[in-house]
Amino acid sequence: MKAAGLGLAAAPALAACGRGFGGDDDSGDGVTLNMVWWGDAARAEKTQAALDLFMERNEGVAIEVEYQDSGPYQDKLATRFAAGDAPDLMAMRMDSLREYADRGALLDLGEYEGDLDLSGLSDSAATLAAVGDSVFGVPAGLNTIGFVVRKDLAEQYGADIPDGDTWGWDDLAAFAQTVSDASGGEVYGTGFDAQTLANIVVYCRQQGEDFFTEAGELGISAATVQSWFELIDGMRRSGAYPPAGFFEEIGGGPDQSYIAQGKLASQIIPTNNFLGYNAACGGSLALLRIPGETRSVRRGQSVDCPHLWSVASASKHPEEAVKLLEFLTNDPEASLATGTTRGVPANADVAEEIKPSLEPDDQLATEYLMALQEEELPRSYTYPPGGSAIADVLDVIAVEVEFGRTTPADGAAQFIAEAEGALAG
Amino acid sequence: MTASAAEAAVMPEAVRPPAPLRGRRRARRDRAGYLFLLPWFIGMLFTIVPFFASLYLAFTDYDLLTPPEWIGLENFTAMFSDPALLQSLKVTFVYTFVSVPLSLAAALGVAMMLNRGIRGLPWYRAVFYLPSLLGASVAVVLLWRYVFGLDGIVNAFLGRFGVEAIAWTSDPDYALTTLIILHIWTFGSPMVIFLAGLRQIPVMYYEAAAVDGASRWRRFRSITLPLLSPIIFFNLIQSLIASFQTFTQGFVMNNGGGGPANSTLFYNLYLYQQGFNQFNMGYASAMAWTLLVIIAAFTALTFISAKYWVNYDN
Repeated sequence: MKAAGLGLAAAPALAACGRGFGGDDDSGDGVTLNMVWWGDAARAEKTQAALDLFMERNEGVAIEVEYQDSGPYQDKLATRFAAGDAPDLMAMRMDSLREYADRGALLDLGEYEGDLDLSGLSDSAATLAAVGDSVFGVPAGLNTIGFVVRKDLAEQYGADIPDGDTWGWDDLAAFAQTVSDASGGEVYGTGFDAQTLANIVVYCRQQGEDFFTEAGELGISAATVQSWFELIDGMRRSGAYPPAGFFEEIGGGPDQSYIAQGKLASQIIPTNNFLGYNAACGGSLALLRIPGETRSVRRGQSVDCPHLWSVASASKHPEEAVKLLEFLTNDPEASLATGTTRGVPANADVAEEIKPSLEPDDQLATEYLMALQEEELPRSYTYPPGGSAIADVLDVIAVEVEFGRTTPADGAAQFIAEAEGALAG
Repeated sequence: MTASAAEAAVMPEAVRPPAPLRGRRRARRDRAGYLFLLPWFIGMLFTIVPFFASLYLAFTDYDLLTPPEWIGLENFTAMFSDPALLQSLKVTFVYTFVSVPLSLAAALGVAMMLNRGIRGLPWYRAVFYLPSLLGASVAVVLLWRYVFGLDGIVNAFLGRFGVEAIAWTSDPDYALTTLIILHIWTFGSPMVIFLAGLRQIPVMYYEAAAVDGASRWRRFRSITLPLLSPIIFFNLIQSLIASFQTFTQGFVMNNGGGGPANSTLFYNLYLYQQGFNQFNMGYASAMAWTLLVIIAAFTALTFISAKYWVNYDN
């Protein structure tokens, strides 16, 4: 629901110093940082609590916050850079990182090693925004994708939920078939988007390929794209997966999701949304890993982040911006205030420390992610410039395949050709 | 002042030149006019600069983050080999050439219905006008998604006649049709203009025709259409220009993507994606100017054709 809530809220910039010495305004040595991000009012409240703490500890630094919905945020950020009015600290999408970084718009945080300690982050987390020898962002939090299954529906239709750590794609198909058949088409056993990049990326990694390579090229083969389309197509034909056109842009949150409506028995979600989905499903969800993790060429899942924090290279106050970033990343009190609104804290010790303060469902999702981080996972490389266009290409072709306007094989070949064209352009 | 007063005293009424006082009065009157125009002039400043900036950017490679680089006509030549752009043109043309005539016909039909001197006309007029106020708004497009959803009203209705549920918004074969229906539904503003036009047609023509035994269709063809043609012309130009610039419907219907399978990728939506998602602002500017040329060409064609069918009766 990108278009909703265009509201731009600017929290009042609290003037630094007070205590009645002279009552000067902050034009002297005061520093005002401009910080922008996307999200809703609940996230704003939590963020502001952390920022208030920072300002309390750092007299002379004021923080001016602007936030809005993610769609308009993206436009506004690009426009502000174009106008030479870049914010100091900003939320950065993973797929936009290199669009900005490769054009010199972002500060290399590697040069602030002394002020910004990233040693508490797992390798998977610390390298998310690494490009060559430089680091252009710090994960604002961590998440990944997980498979959620409605335990109540599984029981009702007599389908055993497979072991979530070791199940394979065929187990998923069998489970889903049982549910669909037993429900007489009322409930589909599973349903997840073929065109969501995060999904196909995991599948691709399982086959031993990198979706994006270290050199910033497309690493997935046509054969893998084809087998991904065929995997879903097969389930669609057998009725385990909903028919073409079933998924509509219904918008809204977990409450309106198909799994909460009881039309699907399982789907893929970002793990940081587990709390919301489980609440919407009356607490009946089990959180499983993506199928095929232990049965394929290699591990496919990876640690991801809802967004990064980046600092503009044009910032007039890089020291203060980095200091705020250090606070948000490594100070447990900052994370106690923000909770998991942007995913699990990137610093593993901090995440461990705040875990008891979280709701049980959030703790479960946090444990899921922490366990994943401790395992050896192949490194993932971020989107190259032009990479965000690939999501559009995949979206078009996946729908063509869904409606049988093209075959999985032709669609896969077309995808490779167009995606490579998008990266080269 | 005194000089002119003296002049006036000696000159006969007839040859007296326009008095300076009159000129001043005119200046004062003009000043009021300019004053009323002032907001527009100020607004113009904000338009004219981006206007010419985008003309310049159309000839550059500009990614918003680094300074624009002059590349001549490259953006324009690249358009011919961009399949997504050609798709967006196709979507926009189909949308325009189907929805504009149909919505004008609907507007005229309803206007004629309301022109029969029914009671409570203002109320009906407002009710029929309402959708146009809402039509392009986000809320209505969202509502529309539910009306045309798989479990929506339309499918429930068609289901009674044994028609299988159609994925109106997520099937690439139907998504654009759904948006065209939405557009036709928002016929309110041409309808109000038609209604005003219909009321200008003197009733005596119809009375005379009725006395001569002209059929209802005959009266429509020979009286209503010719006398209304300037208004049809105006509405046609307005709708055509607006339709070429459609954005919101495609943006909201599928979360900014123009999906399913680019079947609702309007030209302006693709322009926006290029400018803000792909950081190709130079290309987006070139697209904007191309659209201006396309709109200008179709408007000119309509004006030329007007000679043959618009009747400015004197």
